[in-house]
Amino acid sequence: MESTAIAADARKRRTKPAIIDCDIHIPSVKEEMLAYLPRHYREQIDTFGMRLPSQGAMYLNGAKGGRMQEQQFPNDGKTSSILEHFRREHLDKYNIAHAILTGIGDYGINTTPDPDYAAALCRASNDYGIDHFVSQDPRVKSSIMIPKQDPLLAAQEIDRVGDHPGLVQVIVSNGAEKPYGNRFYYPIYEACVRHNLPFAVHVSMEGIGINHPPTGAGHVNHYIEYRMARTQIMMAHLASMIFEGVFVRFPELKFVMIEAGMLWVAPYMWRMDQDWKALRSQTPWVSEPPSEYVRRHVRFTSQPLELPPDNAMFEPMMNAIFADTNLLFASDYPHWDFDSPLKAFPKMSAERRERIFYANAAELYGLPSPAGQEASE
Amino acid sequence: MSAKHYVATVGELQPGGKRIVEAGGKSVGVYNIDGVYYALRNLCPHQGAGLCEGVTSAYVTSSGPGDFAYTCEGEIVRCPWHQWEFDIKTGQMVVDPRMRTLTYDVSVEKYEVSVDQEARIYVHLPA
Ligand code: FES
Repeated sequence: MESTAIAADARKRRTKPAIIDCDIHIPSVKEEMLAYLPRHYREQIDTFGMRLPSQGAMYLNGAKGGRMQEQQFPNDGKTSSILEHFRREHLDKYNIAHAILTGIGDYGINTTPDPDYAAALCRASNDYGIDHFVSQDPRVKSSIMIPKQDPLLAAQEIDRVGDHPGLVQVIVSNGAEKPYGNRFYYPIYEACVRHNLPFAVHVSMEGIGINHPPTGAGHVNHYIEYRMARTQIMMAHLASMIFEGVFVRFPELKFVMIEAGMLWVAPYMWRMDQDWKALRSQTPWVSEPPSEYVRRHVRFTSQPLELPPDNAMFEPMMNAIFADTNLLFASDYPHWDFDSPLKAFPKMSAERRERIFYANAAELYGLPSPAGQEASE
Repeated sequence: MSAKHYVATVGELQPGGKRIVEAGGKSVGVYNIDGVYYALRNLCPHQGAGLCEGVTSAYVTSSGPGDFAYTCEGEIVRCPWHQWEFDIKTGQMVVDPRMRTLTYDVSVEKYEVSVDQEARIYVHLPA
């Protein structure tokens, strides 16, 4: 009986197209993670707590714990139990071939004024992630946390773990001390290029700790304003990356914008192209239209999907953002604003779906094509 | 067939100089770049500004952030409105050559009426 059920389940799973999900947050078990810290910091934490600024101390979230309410992770102090829950509730359920964890632990690391502590936390998070997640399931990939406060320390961390096959990109919070095109960050990009890793920015920690306020006009009040402000910051990073010439200096570098929206990229590119026609001579190293750098170097994730009120606008906008090459599906599991891999997108051609849900990410992260998928068809 | 319109004497249009003249009801900019004359319709294909009223400049290139190199000195006109750059020799927008303003032939003519008469510059517009 049971084996029949398993076989039926496996058949069902094979008929679902394989997916690469590019934004996943599974909780970590603090005690197991802290075991990777040196004694100095473990003792400090025992005595004084984590001393990391947090978003929750300033802003609401969308739901308790920021999660879909039925996603109650096991609380037995074992990361393996969390991973088991994640496999069942997400990987198996939706036939996720590769899940990209967008950071292990806490983006609060990107908000502390203490770069040595940030570096130690990043090392601990990365090692814990390798041992407890990435090495436990070949479907699980992760992102390298770095102390962006100190790009030289950040580069050291990228050099330390950057060749691990389970770590597919470098990640930082959208909240920042300087726009990411600033040459202050060059050591990070040099290290990314050395290890052939994309540089990803994930919305988070805007205006928290050492990071600048979430808008140029200052702090905003409500969580919904805060979410709107994130897009502005990502826009600033994008223009900064292009016009400071990061892609000219680092022609191999890929830049991934995570959870900051997608359709806005179209009018923003049009605006940059328009202005560039007039202002080109002020940044002559930007020798091609800005949209061309976006097309070649920038990828963005889909969640939270911003759908036009009129479905007829969807396809043209998808064309406008180069969705077939530049858009990556993301669910943001287990967060409350999760996009279902099955239900979130309007109808699309099979080719387009395959690009967004698999091929674009496979090319970006160097992941294999879906195992067994062709064989089963 | 084309109609010939007087622009200036050669002495009046030195290298690096420019003249804007009315020719056959059209406004035309005539440039002297290193002793060769070029004529452009004084009309920007973008939104219709008087293109040749704009600054005559060079083309700026770069090997990387912070580097500025000047080439094509005197061969670029920047539209006075939205600052798009056009190649005076071809009438084409530098970054998008499909965007262009008309160019016209220019001739220099000298009549042996008197020995000290200066050669005269003409622009030729299609009739
Ligand atoms: S009118 Fe000339 S650039 Fe706009």
